[in-house]
Amino acid sequence: MSNFAPWKVLHIDLSAGVPELHPEPKYQGIYAVFWWRGIPLGDREIFTAELPIPATALRNLALQAITPAVGDRLLENGFKAPLPVVDPDPAWDQPPDFQALLALQKPLEQLEKTYAQPVRNSISVVICTRNRPEQLERCLRSLLNLSHPPQQIIVVDNAPSNDTTRQIVAQIPQVEYVLEPKPGLSLARNTGIRHSTGEIIAFTDDDVEVHPDWCLRLQQAFVNPQVLAVTGLMLPAELETEAQFMFHQGSGESRWEYRATNFGIEFFENMKHRGVPVWRIGAGANMAFHRQAFEVVGYFDERLGAGASGCSEDSEMWYRILAEGWLCRYEPTAVVFHYHRRDFEAFQDQAYQYMRGHVTALLVQFANYKHWGNLRRLCITLPKYYLRSILRILKNGFQPRSSSVFTEIIGCLSGIKFYLNHRNQPAWSTSLAQKRYANEGIQKSKVKIPN
Amino acid sequence: MPYKIQEIEVTETLPTVSLSPDETGIALIVRHKDKPIGFIMQALPAKMVLDREEIGQLIAKEISNQLIQEYLQTDLNFDVNQTSFPSVTIAICTKDRPENLARCLQSLQELVKQYSQLEILVIDNAPSDDRTQKLVDSLPWVRYVREPKPGLDFARNQALQSATGEILAFLDDDVVVDRRWFKGLMTAWQENPDAAAFTGLVLPYELETEAQILFEQRGGFRRGFQKIRYGQILLGNPLHPCGAGIFGAGCNMAFRREILLKIGGFDEALDTGAPLPGGGDLDIFYRVIRAGYTLVYEPEYLVFHQHRREYEKLSRQYWSWGLGFMAFVMKAYQTDPAQRSNLRHLILWWIYDQLKQLRDSWRGRHVLPPKMILAEIWGGVMGFFGEYSRSLKRIETIRRQFS
Repeated sequence: MSNFAPWKVLHIDLSAGVPELHPEPKYQGIYAVFWWRGIPLGDREIFTAELPIPATALRNLALQAITPAVGDRLLENGFKAPLPVVDPDPAWDQPPDFQALLALQKPLEQLEKTYAQPVRNSISVVICTRNRPEQLERCLRSLLNLSHPPQQIIVVDNAPSNDTTRQIVAQIPQVEYVLEPKPGLSLARNTGIRHSTGEIIAFTDDDVEVHPDWCLRLQQAFVNPQVLAVTGLMLPAELETEAQFMFHQGSGESRWEYRATNFGIEFFENMKHRGVPVWRIGAGANMAFHRQAFEVVGYFDERLGAGASGCSEDSEMWYRILAEGWLCRYEPTAVVFHYHRRDFEAFQDQAYQYMRGHVTALLVQFANYKHWGNLRRLCITLPKYYLRSILRILKNGFQPRSSSVFTEIIGCLSGIKFYLNHRNQPAWSTSLAQKRYANEGIQKSKVKIPN
Repeated sequence: MPYKIQEIEVTETLPTVSLSPDETGIALIVRHKDKPIGFIMQALPAKMVLDREEIGQLIAKEISNQLIQEYLQTDLNFDVNQTSFPSVTIAICTKDRPENLARCLQSLQELVKQYSQLEILVIDNAPSDDRTQKLVDSLPWVRYVREPKPGLDFARNQALQSATGEILAFLDDDVVVDRRWFKGLMTAWQENPDAAAFTGLVLPYELETEAQILFEQRGGFRRGFQKIRYGQILLGNPLHPCGAGIFGAGCNMAFRREILLKIGGFDEALDTGAPLPGGGDLDIFYRVIRAGYTLVYEPEYLVFHQHRREYEKLSRQYWSWGLGFMAFVMKAYQTDPAQRSNLRHLILWWIYDQLKQLRDSWRGRHVLPPKMILAEIWGGVMGFFGEYSRSLKRIETIRRQFS
C-alpha cells in the first residue's frame, strides 16, 4: 500500500552505558527512549540518515533529551510541563531558585532517592478483556514480573464467546477471574471495582505489557491526598506498521511528556468555557483511581466506553473528579508498553470509535454539569476543525490519511445519535452504588480544594 | 554606550556588578568549573548595581538547562575515547592587520606552551608591506607563509597545502581564543571521532560601540550552548543542509585536513574581499555535509570576535552576509542539481524572512533599523543576479596574473 519503513523502539538505560548505534536494515530510524534505572526521562527519534552515531554523541543527545524531566523532578520551580490550556498563567513556571540549582549536584542519584520512598497504600489491578487470550497472556506475564506485586490482579472477562480466557487465568494462581456477561468496557470496569479490595485500583488493557515498577509508581503518585486519579506514560511496544506509527504520533499536539503534571482547578477553570481537554490527562490503558474517587464522583458511565459509545469513559471520569475540585496526576514514571493496532482498518475503526465516544462524552458532561464549553466544542470547535481538514484535502489532494477525516465526522454524528438514544439510561446500575466497599477503612471525605 | 562584559563562575561566590555612568548594559559570560555555559546580554540603566541575588536570578532564568546538563554529564561520565590528540595546525589568514594578528597570537601563546605539538601557521595574504612578516619573525613558534594571490580563500587553500596537522583549525585575525578553546575542539573531536568538520561558539570581544552592541543584540555569530551534530538530516528542517548559515562561522572552524583536500578545498571565488566578501564558510560547510560527512558544533570551542566598531561598517557587514549567502545559494544551484528544489525554497524563505524583518523594523519591533536590513536585502539581490559568475571571471584573471 505504501512504502512505509518501520521504526525500531530501543530502550537505553543510561546507568548501563550508552551504545554506539548503527543503521538497522529495513528500519527508517530508531525511536530511542532514555531511562535511568527504571525511570523514563526522555526520548529522541534518530533517523537512519543520522547513523551511525558514536556512543559519546548519543550520550550528548540523551543529556539534552532528559534535562527537562530531571529539572522537573528535582526542582520546585522551573522545567514544569505546560498545561494544555489556551490561556496559560505566566506564573505557572517560575524560573528555578539559583541556590536550589547549585545544590543539584549528582542529579541522577538524587532522582533515584526521590523514587525510593516506600508506599503504604494497597493496590488492585483490573484488566478487562474480551476474546483476546494471547494478548491477555502476554499482559499477565508482565504483571507477574512486577517489582512490588499488587494485592490483587483481577481479570474481568467481558461477554466472552468462549472459555479460553477462563482457562488461561485458571493456570495462574495469582490472578482472580471474574465473568461479566453483559458487554461494555465501563460495565466490566465497574464489575472489577466491585471485586477489588485495594485502596488504589489500577486499570490496564490486555494489549499492553507493564513496566516492572508500574504499580509502585502509581502507588507513590497518590501521596498527595487530593489526588484521586493517576495516569501514566504509554510507550509504543513496537512501531512496525504505518498504522502503529500514526497512532504513536497521534494528532501531534499530545506528545507523551516525561514531566509530571497535576491537573486541577487551574486547568479546569481555564478551559471550562471551551470544553476541558480531559483526554490530555492520559489513557485508559494506564490509569488508577483512589477508591475514594468512586464515593465522591461515582462509577464509570456505562453508556460510554468500548461496547457502548466507543470510548472516553476514562476521561469523563476524570472530568467529574476535576469538576468536584480534586486532582488528577499524570505520572510518567508509571509506564506501560502498548501494542498499537497493526492494520489500517483497525486504525480507521479506532478513529470512528474515538470520535463517537468523545462526542457522547461531551454531551454527558454537559448534561451532568451544564458546562456550556462542552457544547461549544461540539457545535463550533469540532465543525471548524473538520471544515479546515476538508479544505486542506481539497487543496493538497487525497492522501491515505485523509480518509480518516470522514470516518471521524461520521463518528461524531453517530455519537450525537447514540447520546439521544441513551440519554435517559442511568449512568451505572443502582445496585452498584449501594454496595458496601470491601475496604471499610476509608473515610468519605468532603474536603474540597480551596480555589 | 558600552556594555560591561563580566565573567561569572557559578561555583564561586557571585560578584556584585555595578555599571559606571556611561555603561548601558551588561553581558555576562557564565562558566561552570571554567567551562562556558551561557551568555546573557541585557540593557540596564546607567549606574545600576546588580547584587548577588539578582545575578543569581538572571543565571537561573537563562541557563538552568545548561547547568543541569553539566551536572548530568559529570554524573554520566563514562569513558570517553581517550586516544591521544591528533596533530593540529592552527592557521590564521591575515592581511595588513598586524595589531589584530599580534593579539590573536598572544591568546594562543599559553596553548603552545601546554601542547608542544601544535603548529601555528600565519598566511600573509597579498600584504602591502612587511609588518606581518616582521611580527611573525619575532615569534619563533609561529610559521610564516605568504600567499600572493589576494582573496581569503586563496589564503585558506594555501594553509591547506602548507599545513602538516591531521586537523586544520582556522582563525580570523580579529578573534582571540578562549582559554578552553583547544580543549573544546578536542572534546568535539573525541566525542565525534567520525566528524569531518567542527565549528564553535563566537562571543563578542568587546561591546564598546553602538554598532557592536546592535550586532550582538541581533544574535551576532552566536549559535547557542548546545552541542549539535549536523549529519545528512536535521529534525524539523526540511531544507537541510541548504541553510548553511546555522552551522557556524568561518572565523572559528576546523576540518580534518585529508577530507578538506578530498573535497577540493575552499572555493576561491568566494570570500574574495570586495566585491564578493563572504560565502566561503557557508560553501565549505555545505560541501562537507553534501559529501556525506558530519559537522559538529561545539560551544566550548569558543573564540571572542572583535565586531566592526563603526556604524557604516556594520551595514556593510549585513550587506556582505546577504551577498555571500545568495552567492553561495546560486553556486550550489548550479553545481548541485539534486538540491535545486530545496534551494529554491530556501530563496523564497529568505525573501519572506527578510521582508518580515523589514516590516518589524519599520514598526520599531526589530533591533536593527530598516537601513541595515535593506543592506542585507540589497546584498542578496546582487548575489542573486550573477555576482558569483562575475567573481569566477575575476579570480581567473588573478590566477593568470600570478601564474
